Amino acid sequence: MSFHRIDPSGKGKRPVSFIFDGTRVTGYEGDTLAAALLASGQMVMGRSFKYHRPRGAFAPGSAEPNALVTLLRGKFREPNLRATEVEIFEGMRAESQNRFPSLNIDIGAVNGLAGKLLSAGFYYKTFMGPGIGPLRSTKFWMLAERFIRRAAGLGRAGLAPDPDRYDRINAFCDVLVIGGGDAGRTAAEAATNAGLRVILADANPPKGVDIDGAQTLSRTMVWGVYDGNTYAATERVADHKSARAPGEPRQRHWVIRARTAIHATGATERPIVFPGNDVPGVMLASMFGDLAKRGVIPDGPVAFFTNNDAAYQTAADLAGSGATIAAIIDARVEVSASARALADLCNAEIHIGRAVTGSEGKSALKAVTVQQFDAATGEISGEPVSVQCSTVAVSGGWSPSIQLASQAGGNPQWSEPLQAFLPPEPAPGQDFHVCGSAAGVFGRDEAKADANRAAGIAVAKLSGKKLKVAPRPDCYHAYFAAPVHEIRGTKKSQKAFVDFQHDVTAADIRLAALEGFSSPEHMKRYTTLGMATEQGRNSAIPALAILGGEQGRSIAETGTTRFRPPASGVSFGVLAAERYGDLQPGRLTPMHDWHLANGATLYAAGLWHRPMIYGRAGETIEQAYVREARAVRMGVGIFDVSTLGKIDIQGPDSAKFLDRVYTNMFSNLAVGKARYGLMLREDGLVMDDGTTWRIGDIHFLMTTTTANAGKVMQHLDYCLDCLWPDLKVHLTSVTDQWAGAAVGGPFARKVLENCVEGAQVDNDAVPFMGIVHGTIADKPVMICRLSFSGELAYEVYSGAGHGQQVWDALMGAGKPFNITPYGLEALGTLRIEKGHVTGAEIDGRTTAHDLHLEWMLSKKKPFIGQAMMNRPGMTDENRLSLVGIISTSGKPVSGGSHIVDEDELTEPADSLGHVTAACYSPALEKYIALALVKNGKSRIGTIAYVTAPLTGQHLPVEIVDCHMFDPEGRRMHV
Amino acid sequence: MSDHASPLGADFKPGQFGNVARGIGVRLSEPQYGYLGELAAFAGSGEAILKLVRNAAGQPGAVSFPIAANRWFLAGQEGMDEPVKAKLKPSDGTLIDLSHGRTCLRISGPKVEWVLSKLYAIDFGLTAFATGTGLSTTHHAIFTQIYRHDGETFDLFVFRSLARSFWHSVQRAAEETGFEVV
Repeated sequence: MSFHRIDPSGKGKRPVSFIFDGTRVTGYEGDTLAAALLASGQMVMGRSFKYHRPRGAFAPGSAEPNALVTLLRGKFREPNLRATEVEIFEGMRAESQNRFPSLNIDIGAVNGLAGKLLSAGFYYKTFMGPGIGPLRSTKFWMLAERFIRRAAGLGRAGLAPDPDRYDRINAFCDVLVIGGGDAGRTAAEAATNAGLRVILADANPPKGVDIDGAQTLSRTMVWGVYDGNTYAATERVADHKSARAPGEPRQRHWVIRARTAIHATGATERPIVFPGNDVPGVMLASMFGDLAKRGVIPDGPVAFFTNNDAAYQTAADLAGSGATIAAIIDARVEVSASARALADLCNAEIHIGRAVTGSEGKSALKAVTVQQFDAATGEISGEPVSVQCSTVAVSGGWSPSIQLASQAGGNPQWSEPLQAFLPPEPAPGQDFHVCGSAAGVFGRDEAKADANRAAGIAVAKLSGKKLKVAPRPDCYHAYFAAPVHEIRGTKKSQKAFVDFQHDVTAADIRLAALEGFSSPEHMKRYTTLGMATEQGRNSAIPALAILGGEQGRSIAETGTTRFRPPASGVSFGVLAAERYGDLQPGRLTPMHDWHLANGATLYAAGLWHRPMIYGRAGETIEQAYVREARAVRMGVGIFDVSTLGKIDIQGPDSAKFLDRVYTNMFSNLAVGKARYGLMLREDGLVMDDGTTWRIGDIHFLMTTTTANAGKVMQHLDYCLDCLWPDLKVHLTSVTDQWAGAAVGGPFARKVLENCVEGAQVDNDAVPFMGIVHGTIADKPVMICRLSFSGELAYEVYSGAGHGQQVWDALMGAGKPFNITPYGLEALGTLRIEKGHVTGAEIDGRTTAHDLHLEWMLSKKKPFIGQAMMNRPGMTDENRLSLVGIISTSGKPVSGGSHIVDEDELTEPADSLGHVTAACYSPALEKYIALALVKNGKSRIGTIAYVTAPLTGQHLPVEIVDCHMFDPEGRRMHV
Repeated sequence: MSDHASPLGADFKPGQFGNVARGIGVRLSEPQYGYLGELAAFAGSGEAILKLVRNAAGQPGAVSFPIAANRWFLAGQEGMDEPVKAKLKPSDGTLIDLSHGRTCLRISGPKVEWVLSKLYAIDFGLTAFATGTGLSTTHHAIFTQIYRHDGETFDLFVFRSLARSFWHSVQRAAEETGFEVV
């Protein structure tokens, strides 16, 4: 064992049992998985990406690069979670990853033997460029790709659906304080005391005492900054729980809109790169501090390796907890008296002006070699001395956590004393203040003073008051670091890792520099450095130092990369949150439940759920719609038209407005009458059609197709708002106000006569396109005689809340005539027989002429689209135009098939057009279709072929007029 | 409006649901307003129409709030529109009855702001969304007009056809706090 608990009984904490790699482990409440595993003797927790080297926990919290694990919940797997962040809970199951067959024995470790081949740019060099022999070309990539892809990646996501629920919530505040450390809590308190609405987001578990008046979000990682001070955060609501309350999400996605923000995000310790620095047992000094807080300390002697004074305090604290400090190896020549005093406290021998140049041990550290080091030149000299230790605590200085500030700001500023980048100023449109160690102000008192200062500035700004701003406190000098980031050892067999997770070594960075990747952005992409889950928290500064060093540039001159969201890993589940399963709401008509109860198969038409057929037992879809369509032609049918778009148009200029948006005249429409209208886009193509009813002198009800209701409303709104703001017209969507039932067929009038009160429905009272008002089942109704089916038909509109009662009454009145509900398939059949157009033909490419609707283009008035509709290309006789198609082989025609002249199925020939809609016609007893065909009218009476090469269909058809049934329209005018 | 069929159908099930172990976070109901409508002013007639809005809102149980420039939503007892119609000049503006077209869902209780914050990117804090005010917004594709009665009670007016789908969304959002359908 290399670690143990200070108090083996867990200091009164509740024991927690969990499984790791199939073995039961006991930890204590509040443990991270890493702490519990270390305390149980498990040093190796993961395998590296490329070389599969055994790795142990290295850094606290989200900076951990090595100890990535997969959590299992039933069959669901969540990979790549940091053991240093995972809070253990009873029954938790975790497993290590990127190893086979086990963590201790991993076949993938053989990759280490090919280390030189797997250098930076391996893929580019091996698989791209001109081929030299069979093993170096893109052909080789084709061969090797599937093996490489199988080997790539760390954890395995699994295929089982995520059983958890996730949540999303919005929040607003005056001040968002990010970070629950001393600085964050101080700033939150100050802002709250000033009367501001404050949210304090802390990535850690609750600290016990809430700030009165502030909303505290614990276990909440803020990971993204977006425009207008909008922050994205993930709250781990129940990740640490064995069981969840009803409705409790696993995680919650917060979208926080703040007037201003205070970033108290702290700082992360960074390593010094040295040969053999990835042996389990080499950790950041702050990792030891984190473990000690949880009551876990190393068994054997600890060697500290540092370039700053702050590590001495960690060593003293650790010694105070009972650990043995073997030595403190300091790369600097001068060490402060206070640091020496701390070293004395822990009885540690100090090696001044020396560095760690190698390590001994493979899966567990045994010793490190120490040599004389010249910080000015980086030269190593003298004989190596072995320092026996089981762990090494490395401290290369502290880097402010500026990820969020970088996302929302300009370029970070280099601090030579800290050897770190400081946060940038906010970009235009953003407002934030960084304080404490995140701003490079270290030390508890200094950080608190800085937090008070930041809160004061925020309060003054938000309240509009002038404020005397105190100067920023000095950084606590213990955190000043010598510019020592890498030790180039003499022991060439040992690799010096910069990015642990991606196995990027110092040599890889030098190679990138040598090959011309001089910009940090290019080096990053070439080597994949900083692209792992810890996002360069450990590797960025050492890598920049090495890259700059190769080019004779300082880190400040080399610059750094810009951070982008997310600053820390985020699950896809929480991003999707409530958007799962049905990704859009369902829109239901007032008769929806009746349709379901009466056997309807529903069809999604946009958001609407519409009956497709009312199938009977044993019926195919075709049999059902043929029966329904035949019932309409022979008797009477009823169809739910509630989904048609309906727009209420009111105002003194309503008629004038309609004249402008429709191609035909509406100002001469009598009150109590309806008219079919055609609408063009400004480019002259057909936009939509429908009927508009004149309900009053200055009051119209426009109907649109179901699909285009929103588009037409937008178009009309645009016309009123932008083109003709002087018109006194108001538009309101009333689609949902009205329930509609179309009653069509030879007995339609008789059905209405059986149930309508207060109005006559004979031909004189309600001529074609006439409107009457009456009641059905004591409910007010508005009835318009119009027909899409080509039969005598009426559309009966009632208030939506009365829709079902009216529908029931119509069904009752129709019972003597065997009234038949019909769905979209039968509706489609009836309209194809009649040659009536829908969205299949009004497809955004057709003109009124193409659809033979030129008779609707008024010559007496201007209208939208008029100026553009007669361009040469719009009137070319070879344009696709509407025709009917009759299958002469007796076989069905498929929608979407092409029309060709060739009588044999060949390679794609010149298409004459395409089928827009097809069906079996019970009226004609043939398979028929509508089609758009080049110069369609001239081809009427000729034979062509419908072809669908993908399905192998090739059928002879006769091209006919689109009005295939009752072309004179006698049936609907009876 | 009492004879209007509810768009929620059988999905309106009274009872307690979700995490009620620590009490009821919110109560959900479908109040029956007798009249829902929209009053809109033509350019230059805003003041005249606003006078009508105020008169209408003064009726017992009535509420009104602006939903767009020169547009107000009205909700109240049946017949609420009659005095408006009597005084409305066609050249000033228009009144449209939406009693069938919109559905009101009421949500109230100590966790109401929390639950609504899951559905809308709106600041429901009392200082930002005061009692007696309303606004228009959307929850995904569902256009909603929201009115605040008091610190813990909101009315959500949605398109009738989307009401059932929205009802499910609200219930799901409220499961965490526990809810009661009344």
